[in-house]
Amino acid sequence: MDSTFALLMQGFAVAGTPENLMIALVGCFLGTIVGLLPGLGPINGVAILLPIAFAMKLPPESALILLCAVYAGCEYGGRISAILINVPGDAGAVMTTMDGYPMAKKGMAGPALSISALASFCGALLATIGIVLFAPLLAEWAIAFGPAEYFVLMVLALCCLGGLVGDSLPKAAIACLVGLLLSTVGIDSNSGVYRYTFDALHLQDGIPFIVIVIGLFAVSEVMLMLQQAHAGSEPISITGRLMFNLKEFLAVKWTLLRCSLAGFFIGVLPGAGATIASAMCYASERRMAGKDSDFGKGDVRGVAAPEAANNASANGSLVPMLTLGVPGSGTTAVMMGALTLYNITPGPTLFQDQPVIVWGLIASLFIANIMLLVLNIPLIRVFVKFLSIPNWLLVPGVAAISMVGVYAVHGNTFDLVLGTVIGGIGYLLRVMNFPIAPFILGFVLGDMMEQNLRRALSISNGEVGVLFGSPIAIGLWIVAIAMLAGPRLMKMREKRAETAFS
Amino acid sequence: MSERILGGILLFVSVIGIWLARSFEVTISYEPVGPRAFPITVLILLGISAVALMFEKKSDTVWAPPAVLLRIGSLFVVVLTYAWLFDKLGFILATSLMVIPVARFFGASWKQGIVGGVGLGAGLFILFDRLLDVALPTGLWLNSFLG
Repeated sequence: MDSTFALLMQGFAVAGTPENLMIALVGCFLGTIVGLLPGLGPINGVAILLPIAFAMKLPPESALILLCAVYAGCEYGGRISAILINVPGDAGAVMTTMDGYPMAKKGMAGPALSISALASFCGALLATIGIVLFAPLLAEWAIAFGPAEYFVLMVLALCCLGGLVGDSLPKAAIACLVGLLLSTVGIDSNSGVYRYTFDALHLQDGIPFIVIVIGLFAVSEVMLMLQQAHAGSEPISITGRLMFNLKEFLAVKWTLLRCSLAGFFIGVLPGAGATIASAMCYASERRMAGKDSDFGKGDVRGVAAPEAANNASANGSLVPMLTLGVPGSGTTAVMMGALTLYNITPGPTLFQDQPVIVWGLIASLFIANIMLLVLNIPLIRVFVKFLSIPNWLLVPGVAAISMVGVYAVHGNTFDLVLGTVIGGIGYLLRVMNFPIAPFILGFVLGDMMEQNLRRALSISNGEVGVLFGSPIAIGLWIVAIAMLAGPRLMKMREKRAETAFS
Repeated sequence: MSERILGGILLFVSVIGIWLARSFEVTISYEPVGPRAFPITVLILLGISAVALMFEKKSDTVWAPPAVLLRIGSLFVVVLTYAWLFDKLGFILATSLMVIPVARFFGASWKQGIVGGVGLGAGLFILFDRLLDVALPTGLWLNSFLG
């Protein structure tokens, strides 16, 4: 405990340098804007800024601080459009529309925004404290993992994500597998064999991560935005008081605490992200409030619950990425890709090898959340102005900025064209409801998975049984299968129960 | 229907992929698992999933109406051309030319498109190339002016 505190202070020393404070502030500001723009969420913000951070030659800890600030900011921003125009700015804010918009319609936009900012802060703060308490323990435990356990752990992460997102198992499986397959392109590092390069010089080092990310989260996003283009509705103007009052605060205090804690633990589990956390917490708070509550008609608790939960789970999902090197969500997978760009391999040893980066990042989460709270209450009117950026300016801007990032890192147009083609294919697959998070996770984990598999089998001299050799591995296999089959079996049972009733 | 076609394509990809993987050979190997095993395993699973996709009963794919699809296709072509001309025309010109049609797709007037295009092209160039030190191509035609 003592050493944790010392390390955290060391982290504050890193995050507290003037440059890093400035970077965090810029990240918070940009993140909130990206979050509040309907159509763009944390994954797009992180994806588009990642190559630019890399091209600006930011040191790794600063780049991560920027990306984390953007990530945290997005979770704050999503609620603004949810409350004011009834359109969630990102997927985690879907539930916030349920009570936020009715509150705004009643002329309570100010209190709805400020109480949700407080809820976001509370969720993020408790989750960050959770990271400080649990991450080092988890990392210490995971150090005992051998390559076989690691391989199974990655299978588990893919199964969790594949089992929970989307409705169709074949589609989720295909997304994972195509991601894994694309990660094998290039020279095999163990043997020097060229795999699927088709004699193209540009593919020798594999398909660059940034190219995939920009294709999927910028190019295909832009195409989807054209498909979903709807006339922008006017935001409700903020009239009356800006701050919530004591009565409203007292009404939500337990909601905040419950949802923050629940959100954090849901976030730590791989696969279950901010969307699931906010939906679950909203539903349970609604049930606890009883029948004669105002839920759905503008209850403050209905605004506080999903916001506390989604921020807590967004921060919680950093835990598996930092401690195990196995991200549990699309956005953290992109962040992990950012680490690998800097030749830093996330995993249990990260806490020992790179304390500056890990603790700097954790400290910057504290700082970023305080900044976000300060930015989001008094400056809310400034952010609301960004809601009126027309799509015709926003979309080409996003396209141009994404290309800037890819070009700055790789310096050739082959990668730009490749990214655009990937984006086009991504668009088709997304219209067909293929989940994108398992794909990106597969791509990020592919190489590590193969390396660990080969290492495990080298140790056992080719004996496949080693993958089922230890109690930990067997336990992970069982959980993996349960995660893959569980949600679907439950859905089937629900359906059967429904048909039995009717 | 879309699922059937895609399932077929993916099945084809996995067969071709496995066929290609035959040539991933190492002359001397120090490890029991070579470069072939992982991709082949993934491809076999991909093939199985592709078949499962083809036999899935429900389909929830809703394609945009043809007119919208045509616009999305044109948007894709514009971005592809932009990517290709990015360093040939230079950032400012290429971006300005890309913004105009894209802005039009999203309902801007010609005037808004042109102003927005020139503004974004020049503005982002100054922001990135000059202020943030992210080097962007100026294009041959501008090099003589900027030196």
